[in-house]
Amino acid sequence: MNANKIYPWYFSSGAIVLYLLFIVAPALLGIYYSFTDWNSYSSEKNFIGLEHFRTILAGDPTYLLFIKNTVLFTLVTSIAKTILGLFLALLLVSGVKAANLHRMIIFSPQVLSFLIVGLVFKSLLDPNNGFVNVTLRSMGLDVLAQNWLGSLTWAMPSIMAVDTWKGMGYIMVLFIAGLLAIPRDYYEAASIDGAGFGQKLFRITIPMLMPTITIATVLNITYGLRVFDAVYVLTNGGPGNATDVINTAVYSSFAKGYWGLGSALSTILFVIMAIISFFIIRLMNRKVEY
Amino acid sequence: MMRKRFIFSLASVLLLSTLLLAGCNSGKSTEGSGKVTLTFGTSQSGIPRTGIMQTMAKEYEQETGVKIDFQVVPDAQWRDLIKVKLASGEAPDIFNVDVDPLSMPANVRPEENAIDLTNEEFTGRMSEEILPTVSHNDKVYGVSFAPTKIWYVYYNKRIFQELGIEPPTSYAEFKAISQKIKDKDIIPFYQAPASGWYQVLPLFETGPNYEQTAAGTYEKLNNNEMKIADMTQLKTVIEQLKEFADLGYFGKDFLSNTVEAGIEAFGQEKAAMLLRVPGTEKEVSEAYPAMKDNMGFFVMPWGDNQTIGVNPGGSAAMFGNKNSKHPEEVLKFFRWITEHDHLQRVFDEGEGNLTICWPEIEPKLTQDYIDYEKNHEKGTVMQAAVKYIDPQWMDIGKDLSGMFAGAMTPDQILQNIDKRRAEQAKVLKDEKWQ
Repeated sequence: MNANKIYPWYFSSGAIVLYLLFIVAPALLGIYYSFTDWNSYSSEKNFIGLEHFRTILAGDPTYLLFIKNTVLFTLVTSIAKTILGLFLALLLVSGVKAANLHRMIIFSPQVLSFLIVGLVFKSLLDPNNGFVNVTLRSMGLDVLAQNWLGSLTWAMPSIMAVDTWKGMGYIMVLFIAGLLAIPRDYYEAASIDGAGFGQKLFRITIPMLMPTITIATVLNITYGLRVFDAVYVLTNGGPGNATDVINTAVYSSFAKGYWGLGSALSTILFVIMAIISFFIIRLMNRKVEY
Repeated sequence: MMRKRFIFSLASVLLLSTLLLAGCNSGKSTEGSGKVTLTFGTSQSGIPRTGIMQTMAKEYEQETGVKIDFQVVPDAQWRDLIKVKLASGEAPDIFNVDVDPLSMPANVRPEENAIDLTNEEFTGRMSEEILPTVSHNDKVYGVSFAPTKIWYVYYNKRIFQELGIEPPTSYAEFKAISQKIKDKDIIPFYQAPASGWYQVLPLFETGPNYEQTAAGTYEKLNNNEMKIADMTQLKTVIEQLKEFADLGYFGKDFLSNTVEAGIEAFGQEKAAMLLRVPGTEKEVSEAYPAMKDNMGFFVMPWGDNQTIGVNPGGSAAMFGNKNSKHPEEVLKFFRWITEHDHLQRVFDEGEGNLTICWPEIEPKLTQDYIDYEKNHEKGTVMQAAVKYIDPQWMDIGKDLSGMFAGAMTPDQILQNIDKRRAEQAKVLKDEKWQ
């Protein structure tokens, strides 16, 4: 059996054609359009160089707010999903009863559309009749009842919380797979040497999980930077622009017919994502040696 | 052997690509079995009197064999979607667009996208008020059913009587009665920022008041000789809205309110006032019979306004797609639906407004409205007379929500309006902004 058998290149040509047609070509066109004044009010597309990029990056506080919100959302949800996902994974592989059932329940929000999740949470978080505030008030905790999606203080944290709730199940499943792949021998040897839970966690589990953590982090970050549906459904960027992120701004630009500007915003997001992902993969792909 | 495999693989790839590209057809009029189908794209509220229009389209199909396939899209998405569809050549055979004389040419680009209806007999029967909203460069492109639109503040007569209060004629009176209503644990005025557009109405529907106080304001704004930020009266209206919010006259946690929930709040007497258009009485009393004959109305008194703001554009109009495969069939449908008897049915059997923009159809306005309009001056609302206001309506709505939440000041809102006006003027290469 020839393990190194090399297949002809054209076996992959079908996939390559589809990839070029539906991924690469639109992406390149998008980058091209970001250098034009393409809009819905004219059939002309004139090359205008870096003008859109100057508009976005020249210190306009609104655009800077979109970038700041996107980065903040990404950081907080990535950290929260990783920590909670890891915690739940550790719990479920530790021999807890009905682990499969719990895993299924925790994972299930992941398969729902954010439209559904958003509508449910909009109802739950309604300041007047929502389940959360009604429950708090019924317990005499009126002071804790907030306008969760309508106030400057709580709108962004609420979106982050809903997104974390929805996404942590997926990260948990990744971690469970990673945890099950760690040989038991290491833990047995560590136990014989008298290592406690903390030592095993930080000396064996986390180092051995680094490839999984890398994947989870890259997934979380690329998802976080591209976030749209969570914000759009829950607050539509409001109140004011308080929860607007880059992709809601892209949507808004396209909605207004400023297609060139919208493309430029997308291009900026693409560059940010590429740079961050590159460094994360480089940083976290260091070899683990024992 | 290798060569054969290569040719086979290449052929498979080409076949797959062809199939995929074939699947990307525009979805335009289909002609299976020779039957013509006209696609009709519209927003939910844009379609004139939805039910009756669709019923009549079925009758039209029985009569002529031409099917009308309605593609109804949520309101919030249609404005954007139709722009994309027009730009990409994917627009339906007939499409509805919200019209006003200022933004229609930019939104529709009628010379490129719409069938010229100028020489059609029915265009001469539409009201003269509505024609500018569907015309461009002396040519008529659209068919509208919408009447001119007027927003009034509707109030609960019983609550007003119990509290011994009268409809206000100034902002000070408006504030005073709102306090009395609030003291009775009733929401004085139903506000709906979550819908995005409702809270913007007071700013521009009171436009005739600005024009009366400082004649020539609209013209100066259109000539870029004046900034929105210079309009002290507009700033006053925004500050008054903020004051209403801060004093609790919109209720607690009103930022999550939607327009749709307004009828319920008003009908259940949780709110004493709300902003609506004529025809509201019917809608409310059908859902809440106890409200029958319990509703009055007055002109919105923000900024001490006492002038009725009239929007000649009103609402959506139908356009025929110039690039349709069946332009003649589109015209035939327009001719059919605008026959007198059919117009009468659209008006009689449809829901909503009490007038229609066809003078041959008798309006259903009650004497209350006729008397009220006689006793008040009328003027054109700002968004229908000043450029680059209507296209940023939703943005202004977001800014106002931000202000209610404490994130923005009235001055920042005015500056943002100016900024967005300049952006759009630049895109449209407006000479006045060069």
